[in-house]
Amino acid sequence: MFKNYLKIAWRNLIKDKTNTGLNVVGLSIAFAVVILLGMAAMFQLSYDDFHANVDSIYKVVRTEQTPKGPKAGTVQPAPLAPALYAEVPGVKRIARCVEDGTLALYNDKEVSMDIIWVDQEFFSMFSFPILNGNDKNPLENLNSVVVTKDGANKLFGSTDVIGKTFNLLVNGQETPFTVSAIADNILPQSNLDFQIAARFESHNEYNESKEAWDRQYHAVYVELDEGMTASVFEKSSEPFIDLHYEEGINRLKRDGATADENGRFINLKLVPLKDVHFAKFKNGFVEVSRSRPYLIFGIALLILFIACVNYINMSIAKTAKRLKEIGMRKTLGAQKQQLFFQFWSESLFVFLLSITIGVVLSAVFLNDFKSMFNTQISSELLLSPVFLVGLLLTVLVITMLVGGYPALLMSRLGTIQSLKGKLESSGSNKVRNVLMVFQFGIAILMIVGTLVLWGQIDYMRNKDLGFDKEQVVSFPLNGKRNSHDMVELLRDELSGNPDIISVSGSDSNLGLGKDGGRSSSGIGFEYKGRIVMTNFLVVNHEYIQTLGLNVVAGRSFESAGDSLGVVINEAMAKELGEQDPLISQLEIDDGVFYPVYGVVKDYNFTDLDREIAPMTFFMSRQQNLTYGFVKVSPANMANSYAAIESAWKKLEPNAEFLGSFVDENIDRTFKQEKTTAKMIASGSIIAILLSCMGLFAMSLLIVSQRTKEIGIRKVVGASVTSITYILTKDFLKLVLIAFVIASPIAWWAMREWLQNYAYKIELSIWYFVAAGALALIIAFLTIGTRTVRAARANPVKSLRTE
Amino acid sequence: MLLQLKNIFKWVQQGGQRVFLLKDINLEVEEGEFISIMGPSGSGKSTLLNVIGMLDTFDEGEYGFLSESVHTLKEKYRSNLYKEYIGFVFQSYHLLDDLTVEENLEMPLLYKKIKSSERKALVADMLDRFNIVGKKDLFPTQLSGGQQQLVGVARALIGKPKLILADEPTGNLNSQQSEEIMELFKKLNEEDGVTIIQVTHSEKNAEYGSRIINLLDGRKI
Repeated sequence: MFKNYLKIAWRNLIKDKTNTGLNVVGLSIAFAVVILLGMAAMFQLSYDDFHANVDSIYKVVRTEQTPKGPKAGTVQPAPLAPALYAEVPGVKRIARCVEDGTLALYNDKEVSMDIIWVDQEFFSMFSFPILNGNDKNPLENLNSVVVTKDGANKLFGSTDVIGKTFNLLVNGQETPFTVSAIADNILPQSNLDFQIAARFESHNEYNESKEAWDRQYHAVYVELDEGMTASVFEKSSEPFIDLHYEEGINRLKRDGATADENGRFINLKLVPLKDVHFAKFKNGFVEVSRSRPYLIFGIALLILFIACVNYINMSIAKTAKRLKEIGMRKTLGAQKQQLFFQFWSESLFVFLLSITIGVVLSAVFLNDFKSMFNTQISSELLLSPVFLVGLLLTVLVITMLVGGYPALLMSRLGTIQSLKGKLESSGSNKVRNVLMVFQFGIAILMIVGTLVLWGQIDYMRNKDLGFDKEQVVSFPLNGKRNSHDMVELLRDELSGNPDIISVSGSDSNLGLGKDGGRSSSGIGFEYKGRIVMTNFLVVNHEYIQTLGLNVVAGRSFESAGDSLGVVINEAMAKELGEQDPLISQLEIDDGVFYPVYGVVKDYNFTDLDREIAPMTFFMSRQQNLTYGFVKVSPANMANSYAAIESAWKKLEPNAEFLGSFVDENIDRTFKQEKTTAKMIASGSIIAILLSCMGLFAMSLLIVSQRTKEIGIRKVVGASVTSITYILTKDFLKLVLIAFVIASPIAWWAMREWLQNYAYKIELSIWYFVAAGALALIIAFLTIGTRTVRAARANPVKSLRTE
Repeated sequence: MLLQLKNIFKWVQQGGQRVFLLKDINLEVEEGEFISIMGPSGSGKSTLLNVIGMLDTFDEGEYGFLSESVHTLKEKYRSNLYKEYIGFVFQSYHLLDDLTVEENLEMPLLYKKIKSSERKALVADMLDRFNIVGKKDLFPTQLSGGQQQLVGVARALIGKPKLILADEPTGNLNSQQSEEIMELFKKLNEEDGVTIIQVTHSEKNAEYGSRIINLLDGRKI
């Protein structure tokens, strides 16, 4: 019997090639998209899942009630971790981590590498498998390091390097370290990323900071005892906080901060390791949001939905052609179930074919997909049991629903009616219309999303940030030389070049450079009886002029000798609350007062999702510069860049030059937005394409069903236009309804998304109008070709065939 | 007795009024009869045939088929009943265009869950008997009307039914083809003892039957 079903299914599919083709193509594309997007989302959701202890490891976050509202911070002071371990019950292991870049020296080689400075327990807490060497306690000695396979190859050119010694630049000094173990490469879905792991105690800050509760510079991870929960731990850490942060709490009280609902000013919160990748600390709370992977899943499901709607609609529409068969089979003794299985097996056929093509397509486009959307998914994920089972279940459920619904409708038709070829069609038309409204609603939603996203990205790219981003090259000072000397040497080296305007440096980059490093530092100090917080930037004296910042009051730094004062931005001036900020004296070091030389106009030194915060520029040779900045003239920019590079090569022959223009760096900071926009854009193109395929197939069927009507109307004297209008208007009406439904949803969703940005575009009505018009035009073109042809056909012919 | 209709009524509601399709039909059919139902268009001939064939329901009355009371049976048993004992022949043949002659003949056997080997034997038998072995791999559209109806009759017969219901079986055929089909019916009735009920417009075809039932406006006259 089943063989018979298959045979008939096959013949039916072959007979109606256009329809089957459209269905298979649509479903295959949809399946391929679902597989790729599904993998991307799964990859995101699997962050840090590979650690065996993932469920008992937490990142420690400190929340503070400041006079300006709550603040959350993930950087902690060095004494916190040992004290927590000793004084608060429930801690199994604890590790401090500083992720950093470093210069590693081996023989003549100088290599910039990613390093993590951690406590001994690190490798017992986290599952970074040791391949070779001391796997019990790889960081036993202060000068032991663990190197990953990649790191070893980069530095030594081999992985057989246990016991070898090399130097790291710590505080400008070459310090020897010995490789005690080789670790496997870090998985892409790991938040902690490093090539070298060294002891926390060897970090250059440690000796100054080990007793200082007010210097915060590293993250803390705890692993709790079995049976200990995060909330119990948070509760039992309260007396500990009250003890160690007494001074801070008193200061907050004095400055007028309001306590939280529990009457507390400072709390420790634990963020589960699984959530760390998705956690934001923006408004002083820990917010865990997995919206991005879910958005990707959502897009995948919507596209699948559209393809399924096509299938359902076409199957139902095709019922009309098969009424006779249904009736005949029933008179020959077919029961409902048997008919159901017959029609369902046809669907199964189409779905199995489509899923096979879909899997092949996704494998073919995997690499393009990865590079286009910057995701790290691998084909291994495609073969993982979870994914396969999930896929199989999805296909099964979809085949049941999507194939089952039309099959159910068909098998329930009355025998006599179907034999007579009569179809009570109003019911299924309603279903069809609702489904098509959904389909176009989704397409419109995605088009609006794409337009708004591009709008916002365009806005961010072109916004005047308050500094000169086009003409400034930035590069990490990753060489062996002292960074201050290096800036001076570069300035001398480039001084003869008329296209080089100025050279400077600071301890933080603008945007994201080629090295991918980002950092910021801040300080708080007493000013007239209260705490003032400010961002803090160590600069070379030409920094302000190099970036083209506007000095609105006072003066800029004038020479290297100007290191006894500071320059602040307008936000900082406001924070100080002085009529004339130039008279302020800031007590940045205990007992040392720094006058304010000048005030610069506010500029966006962080991403555009944040308001401009107070900023203080400071010149000090004690603290290293980490990035160089060179301003070039607008002419011959490529030559100027080459000149900078060759000057660099001359001064630091062994270090890599990673320069880039600051506007490129800024572009890199909204890589994620761009990827999301690309994803939604591709999603909406596919959604529109699939919807149109469905629409096209429907118009084919409708036209063929209404051939007689068209013929009669023409004989009676209807014009081509009026017939086209009659055939088209029903569909266009659906698109309009879809627009009316989708617009408010799109408006709400986009407004929510724009809330993330401090600087954002207005949600103008034109985004929606454009999306609606686009959908309407595309729909019209799709149906139009068919309907016009039908309307122009010779009526005698169409009537004769009836 | 093969079947018995007692006081069968069938109606539809139209504008709040009952329009009767069948009105108080009483009919007894013995095995081996050949009955012709006649009457003008709209007199309820086909409806009566469909009720007898259990394809259509009725609103009032009793219907006994081989000592089963059809009106009390669930649909599943009803379909088992007609699958087992009744074969249908239609005016427009109603062969499935996607299936070959052989497959069309095989189809009722599939729904009766007959084993493959037995199916093959029965189909071959039937092809032989109707002299259409050479046409077994053709599709219905490749046959003439008379040949198609021949396949239609063969398909109705293949399940070895006790009763064949034919709704204007010759309506789409020319006179020569008509005669062939009617001769076939006659032969089946006389030699194989198959009961036949046919609906027809033609006096000539009606003459083949042993009994004629005349209908007018849903009523037997």
